[in-house]
Amino acid sequence: MNILEVKNLRKRFGDTEVLKGVSFSLKKGEVLSIIGSSGGGKTTLLRCLNFLEKANSGDIIVNDKTVYSAKEGEKPVVSQEAQLSFGLVFQQFNLFPQYSVKENLMLAPKLRTKRKDTLGQRETMGEISERADMLLEKVGLTEKADSYPCQLSGGQQQRVAIARALMLSPEILCFDEPTSSLDPELTGEVLKVIRSLKDSERTMIIVTHEMEFARNVSDRVIFIADGVIEEEGTPEEVFGNPKSIKTRNFLSAGKEG
Amino acid sequence: MEQFFNITLDLLVGFGETLKIFFVTLAFALPLGLIIAFGSMSKFKPLAALCKAIVWVIRGTPLMLQLIIVYYGPGLVFGQMLLSASVAVYITFSINYACYFSEIYRGGIESISKGQYEAGQVLGMTKTEVFFKVILLQVIKRIIAPMSNEIITLVKDTSLARVVTYYELIYFAQRYIKNAGLLWPLFYTAIYYLVFTAVLTLLFGWLEKKLDYFKA
Repeated sequence: MNILEVKNLRKRFGDTEVLKGVSFSLKKGEVLSIIGSSGGGKTTLLRCLNFLEKANSGDIIVNDKTVYSAKEGEKPVVSQEAQLSFGLVFQQFNLFPQYSVKENLMLAPKLRTKRKDTLGQRETMGEISERADMLLEKVGLTEKADSYPCQLSGGQQQRVAIARALMLSPEILCFDEPTSSLDPELTGEVLKVIRSLKDSERTMIIVTHEMEFARNVSDRVIFIADGVIEEEGTPEEVFGNPKSIKTRNFLSAGKEG
Repeated sequence: MEQFFNITLDLLVGFGETLKIFFVTLAFALPLGLIIAFGSMSKFKPLAALCKAIVWVIRGTPLMLQLIIVYYGPGLVFGQMLLSASVAVYITFSINYACYFSEIYRGGIESISKGQYEAGQVLGMTKTEVFFKVILLQVIKRIIAPMSNEIITLVKDTSLARVVTYYELIYFAQRYIKNAGLLWPLFYTAIYYLVFTAVLTLLFGWLEKKLDYFKA
């Protein structure tokens, strides 16, 4: 069964159409990498999936439930569970600077428990704290629980951001160029964490410029150019034997540059 | 010596009146300023325009003139005074300072990166939660310096209340010129203002230090 189905997603900014009808699906536990040149629409696609941008038209279906549906010229319908189906790890981490590492993890779940219209189960503070400890261990930052973001390296901050996103147990975890603002020597620790998530069968969508990583970690790769999916397949197919000329040009430019 | 002591105490009463203006103004202007800031950032254009117009008028005219208009204006229009001097002073100061504060808030709020809001949203937080739990403290940290400037100015602006017969520190001191031929009490008032602004400066310094543990 498909955990995610995206149908004919279109997004315009003013007169510029950034997504020109994007459709794809994702199975549970699958890791999908989205590659393509800057301005091609990969980040916009990810932002539409996380409702940071509202697609002008198209459907987003999670576990056979339509969580987002938009028609041209009409107000989009977003279901309540929509936001929490997806988690997002940003290029710039976006940790909350005034909170310690552990508080960063606990803030959203704590607020969710306090809220009256809480969906799903209510956790006690103890359970939230326990889960935070567990996830910090998973990303290897147990000893940094009481540090503040400004005291951490970029790689450590990004690992905290990953743990923070996991606190909400999203069905699908998205990464927006998770290593692009890191020094080269720090990308490894973040990629290692992402790889360990793949081993625990987490469904993920990764927008990335790290071709080697995309090749190694993904089950499937999508190449986006000019707002459409130009090529889609297994890493072997897309990297080893690309069908489209655009894909071939993109991949060979990467090798030379 | 006894005269000095008595005048010091008398001026302290006058300073109490000054402090009343100070604290009442802060109590109303701090939250009101935030409301005006939200108004002028509103996506609803007429509301934003209205808030910006109010800020323009208030910041564009002297506080002393505003006091006179609020206090004497109703008398001219309706033929009778509506407000006591103290109420007129509280209203005018609150609105005046709210407008200045609103611009400081707005600058602070707009300087917070969009990523902070987006991170809150993707974690399923409501807009209100994001503002109060994530944004506000970062804004406060960033606006301490301009706010302390404005608040210290308020301490001294209170002396304008005298023009609408609100009896504050300067008024108390000036009576000694007329009644006793003493000029020094007026000069002496400077000490009261200085001591109070010193306390405020320390307070803001402490707050700044307190928020030094994070970078925003």
